Amino acid sequence: MSPSDQILPHGRILRYAFHERLTHWIAAGSYIYLLLTGLAFWSPWCIWLAVILGGGQVSRMLHPWAGLIFTGAVLKMYSMWSTQMRSTEADKKWWDSIGYYIRNEDDKMPAAGRYNAGQKLLFWGFITCGVLLLLSGVILWFPEYVPWNLRFLRYLAVLIHPAAALLTIGLFLIHIYMSVFAERGAFGSIIRGDVSLTFAKRYHPRWYEEITGQATSPKK
Amino acid sequence: MTNGWIDIKNTDMMLIMGGNPAENHPCGFKWAIEAKRTRNAKLISVDPRFTRTSSVADHFCQIRAGTDIAFLGGVINYAIENNRYAKDYIINYTNAAFVVDGGFKLPSDTDGVFSGFDAEKQSYNRASWNYAGGKSAPSAGQNGAPPPLPPLPEKVDFDPSLQNPNCVFQLLKKHYSRYTPEMVERVTGIPKEQFVKAADLYTSIRKDGDMKKAGTIIYAVGWTQHSFGTQIIRTAAMLQLLLGNVGRAGGGVNALRGHSNIQGATDMAGLYDSLPGYLKVPTPADASFEAWMKRITPTSSKPAQWESFNYWSNTPKFMVSLMKMMYGDGATKQNEWAFDYLPKVDRDYSWVNLWNNMYNGVVKGLLTFGMNGVAIGPDSKKNIDALKKTEFLVVGEIYADETSEFWKSPGVTQDEMKQIQTTVYRLPCAGFAEKDGSFTNSARWLVWKNTAVPTPGDARLDQAILAQIFLRVRELYKKDGGKFPDPILKLSWSYTDPMNPSLAEVLKELNGKALADLEDPATKVQIKKGQQVPGFGWLKDDGTTACGNWLYSGSYTEAGNQTARRDPSDPSDMGVHAGWGWSWPANRRVLYNRASCDVDGKPWDASRKQVWWNEGLEKWVGNDVPDFKADSKPKDHMGPFIMNPEGVGRIFAPLAAFADGPFPEYYEPFESPIQNPFHPEQSTNPVVKAFKTADDKLGTSKDGFNVVCTTFRLTEHYHYWTKNNPMNVQLVPEPFIEMAAEMADEMGIRGGERVKVSSARGEYVAKAMVTKRIKPMMIDGKKTYQIGIPFHWGYRGIAEDEGKTSRMLTNALTSTIIDPNAHTPEFKGFLVKVEKV
Amino acid sequence: MSQATLRVQKISGHAGPVAGEDAQREFTVCKLIDTTTCIGCKACEVACMEWNDLPFGETVFDNTYQTMPETRWNYWNLILFNEHEKEDGSLMWLMRKNQCMHCAEPGCLAACPADGAIVQYANGIVDFQQANCIGCGYCITGCPFDIPKMNPKTNRVFKCTLCSDRVSEGLEPACIKSCPTGCLHFGSKDDMKDLAEKRARQLREHYDFPQAGVYDPAGVGGTGVVYVLHDATKPELYGGLPADPHVPWSVKLWKGPLKWLGNVAMVGGLIGLFVHYLRFGPKDRDDENINTEGGKS
Repeated sequence: MSPSDQILPHGRILRYAFHERLTHWIAAGSYIYLLLTGLAFWSPWCIWLAVILGGGQVSRMLHPWAGLIFTGAVLKMYSMWSTQMRSTEADKKWWDSIGYYIRNEDDKMPAAGRYNAGQKLLFWGFITCGVLLLLSGVILWFPEYVPWNLRFLRYLAVLIHPAAALLTIGLFLIHIYMSVFAERGAFGSIIRGDVSLTFAKRYHPRWYEEITGQATSPKK
Repeated sequence: MTNGWIDIKNTDMMLIMGGNPAENHPCGFKWAIEAKRTRNAKLISVDPRFTRTSSVADHFCQIRAGTDIAFLGGVINYAIENNRYAKDYIINYTNAAFVVDGGFKLPSDTDGVFSGFDAEKQSYNRASWNYAGGKSAPSAGQNGAPPPLPPLPEKVDFDPSLQNPNCVFQLLKKHYSRYTPEMVERVTGIPKEQFVKAADLYTSIRKDGDMKKAGTIIYAVGWTQHSFGTQIIRTAAMLQLLLGNVGRAGGGVNALRGHSNIQGATDMAGLYDSLPGYLKVPTPADASFEAWMKRITPTSSKPAQWESFNYWSNTPKFMVSLMKMMYGDGATKQNEWAFDYLPKVDRDYSWVNLWNNMYNGVVKGLLTFGMNGVAIGPDSKKNIDALKKTEFLVVGEIYADETSEFWKSPGVTQDEMKQIQTTVYRLPCAGFAEKDGSFTNSARWLVWKNTAVPTPGDARLDQAILAQIFLRVRELYKKDGGKFPDPILKLSWSYTDPMNPSLAEVLKELNGKALADLEDPATKVQIKKGQQVPGFGWLKDDGTTACGNWLYSGSYTEAGNQTARRDPSDPSDMGVHAGWGWSWPANRRVLYNRASCDVDGKPWDASRKQVWWNEGLEKWVGNDVPDFKADSKPKDHMGPFIMNPEGVGRIFAPLAAFADGPFPEYYEPFESPIQNPFHPEQSTNPVVKAFKTADDKLGTSKDGFNVVCTTFRLTEHYHYWTKNNPMNVQLVPEPFIEMAAEMADEMGIRGGERVKVSSARGEYVAKAMVTKRIKPMMIDGKKTYQIGIPFHWGYRGIAEDEGKTSRMLTNALTSTIIDPNAHTPEFKGFLVKVEKV
Repeated sequence: MSQATLRVQKISGHAGPVAGEDAQREFTVCKLIDTTTCIGCKACEVACMEWNDLPFGETVFDNTYQTMPETRWNYWNLILFNEHEKEDGSLMWLMRKNQCMHCAEPGCLAACPADGAIVQYANGIVDFQQANCIGCGYCITGCPFDIPKMNPKTNRVFKCTLCSDRVSEGLEPACIKSCPTGCLHFGSKDDMKDLAEKRARQLREHYDFPQAGVYDPAGVGGTGVVYVLHDATKPELYGGLPADPHVPWSVKLWKGPLKWLGNVAMVGGLIGLFVHYLRFGPKDRDDENINTEGGKS
């Protein structure tokens, strides 16, 4: 897609193409299922989640399959986005200025491209944890096939799986918060695909420049 | 067993050889464990393989299969050399002090045979195997028959100092002085130190002349199944006499029977040359009942100043009572108690001879019940070939077995099948839980069991099938007459249901009853005509009693079925349990128990009192039933071995007792990797005659048969039976061959790979079990391997029918060589070659 | 013994208190296995199959007398056969009946997330309740003895119940009942420990086993199955009996600190984000039109 293709009528910019949105929602859907059933296995206090979702046995049966779907989607994301997610010099500055970001003083932030450094962290976090979850998950799926003399693998798996899951939960919460509550317009973009020029200019100025060829207003 | 299962708990020392009770008798073996747990008893296991029994042994020796006499002879030598024998015991209770005829020669003096050997006939003239002493004149042979053996002297010369060079003890000492530890190592393959450790441990019970401790010898068919099997057991008996272990709680010579009722089968004339109760069968030479009785009733033979009870002098009472039971009013004094009705046994009708006769077309048909003839006999091919020649075969079984499907055995072609004309009848029978009756266990205990489940489908009880065959044959005789109908027509058959005799009624017959009012002259106790006799002491030779088996007399009295008693109490805590079941003879648990006391009648070990002389009552009393004349005073010096005419135990077995020697001599198995180091020119048992059919072949090391092979059983399976039961099949799914890890390495065989074992007679293919439990041996300086094969599989069964086995029989490998005394085949110890498949 | 001994004292995956937590333990039951008198006859294997009505499974010859390599979901009691050559060249054929050890601190129960799938009764028996099992297999990982096994068809895990059904009726477990040599005993833990120590002493004093001893590993709080071993310093010889078994550290870490840390982090994260929103609100609050503009397209 050339930058000019992404400029839509009525002052909109295409941020996510259909296949990107679809992949995202496959990942999101399976992740939410994994999260809910995983929480049920995590703590007796959450077992009611599994009960709502069809009972413990069904949850245990479907959880690994959902995991495979999630991993598939994450791999697809990797193939789609990994080049765009490379860390740049600007990202370092972005992290240096993270305090402004938290305080919603975005105008004091270094200009971000299509993805800001935080989004890149989210991406790489999910990729890494996804791999860890897959590997440990396979072991947990079939513990009886892990030979007794390789049992340390089982022991590692029971630790890695929840630890990796907890990391993704942290990322997930921030992701939801940012996209649904903090940056209005972001949620719509992953559903309909487009954002307003203002949105692009505000949150992803360098990306805006790439698409439109226009410089954003100079920094104060 | 001279003793019994539970009695093993009283022992201090166990020598287990030629048997693997932990494997094959796990329930009885609890008493061996009990002895270890409660008495700190020691267990020595001597076996060709390190077995389940060896796993709980305190000392293990790996022996070459079939060399047990060398080992035991070595222990006898060790005991004598180290003064570890029971001196008082052997002087007073054995024939150690008896002086032997001057004409008797040992194998060390006569080229590996005893005196009297006739090389041409391969048999002995045993006249010189006798005691010295006052003799009655030998009777001349009648009608050209060879002269019968001279009788035992009435008064035997004896030397209580044991110094006479011709006394039994000195001969024993001389004979076994050749069985040095070095010689034992050469023959058995057991390293000298290990053998000496075993001999030292076993004889340690007689250290410093102590008589308190007792040692037991436990064996099974690993001893019996050799061309000298009887003599192995003899050697054990002699060792036990020498150590004063016979008659003692925790002692004895203890045969473990391989089936629940083998003891009962033997007691009830399972052998062709005996009648129930071990009465000897008549032969064509016995012209009359009286002549027969004279021949088989011994007269006492003892030092002049001793007494001998000579219990077999009652033989005519037992025999007349047996005839009265069989023929009732048909047996009278006038017709010599129906002596003519009895078949006269003219030759060897033992198992292997029977099948040989079938092979040669002499025997035309066969009825088999409770066994799988093709599989259990040696040389399966010969057995199958024999059945092919029969006109009919009747098999009573609960499974489709190898015998009833012999014509489907592997290797029989379609064309050949068409040639086989045998009519086979397979009759569905009842399994053990589907019938009642008694089992006589190894301890001689008769224990009654009830029917647990009804027979399925058309299955019938064995006795119902046999009764119906008998009744129809009798019908035919009645209708058509015949050459000699009387033995059939006059047979007493007075069961409530003649078509299906109740086994309780049969047991009542065995116990015996009074045919007239009787009175015991000593106690004035009376029994009425028709009542059950209380025991064999009541049996008469005048036709006033009937008894089917004198040994079983007392098992079903007026007080009811004694074998069904279930009183577990044991006041003496010696494992007597006098109220549980009933054991022959007369509910005695330990045979010869008079020998558990010293000459004065006091127990050797006061903590294990079996019987003793009560001076006040002037009677023998005890925790067990005294196996002795109850009122014989110790000072009369009656011998405790009341079944021998000598009254004492036989270290030297005189005259006709054994076919192959009064002392056991070591001979090699017929197939052996070496020549006998004792006398290479007489390597094997000289009186054993091999069969000569096309199927009877022997292999030698020169032909490449250089691996010693033995067969065995597994806990998980029961003979050729449980291969039909999924539970047992799950436990051990497939046949296998046990071999040493070193041997497998040399041949490039890994565990689980298939190997072929072949003997001169046949082959067997199964997976290899490569184990450290068998080690290579040095036999007479030659590195020799030994393998073992469990024999539970055949060509019918779960694994067989699923095609998971080679469908072969282990006994395809074994030979028809038999022991000259017991006629048992040489299953344990033959030569094979082993190849990778 | 009465049904009271089957009062549940510990429950897996359970939120809130357990009914029997404060039940007074009359005594803990215990199985004693004297490996020095075991002859490997497999009567216990058969008795276990028969009493528990376990279906037959296929086995294959594997160069051993052992029925199968390890216990199965439908084969809870397996004698392990091991050949061991001693330094003096003599051989030992070690036989050890292997089954659930009924640990006082069961790793399976600790690892299990399913409410009531694993329980420990007041008498010490650790029992699986297959109706509640979700088939996650965490118990397999939690067990230091490799005992729980999954039925791949029903996706439920099974193991020896110590015949809790028999024990509650005052009977000994089926394996004990069937043992012909008396190498198996059953009773209270105290009695079995006494008996075991006595036997070990006998082996040290009267037999050639100076290292004989009792196996009752402290790492899992002691076990409801204790062994007498010829050489207690080398339990590994008996088919890999662990010298110092304990619930895997990772399971402890996971069920302990990690769980608390995770819970705090998750709840803390949620609260933090909520507070952030309260304090700072959305990033575009100074530009109310941004969304409407987008919406107009």
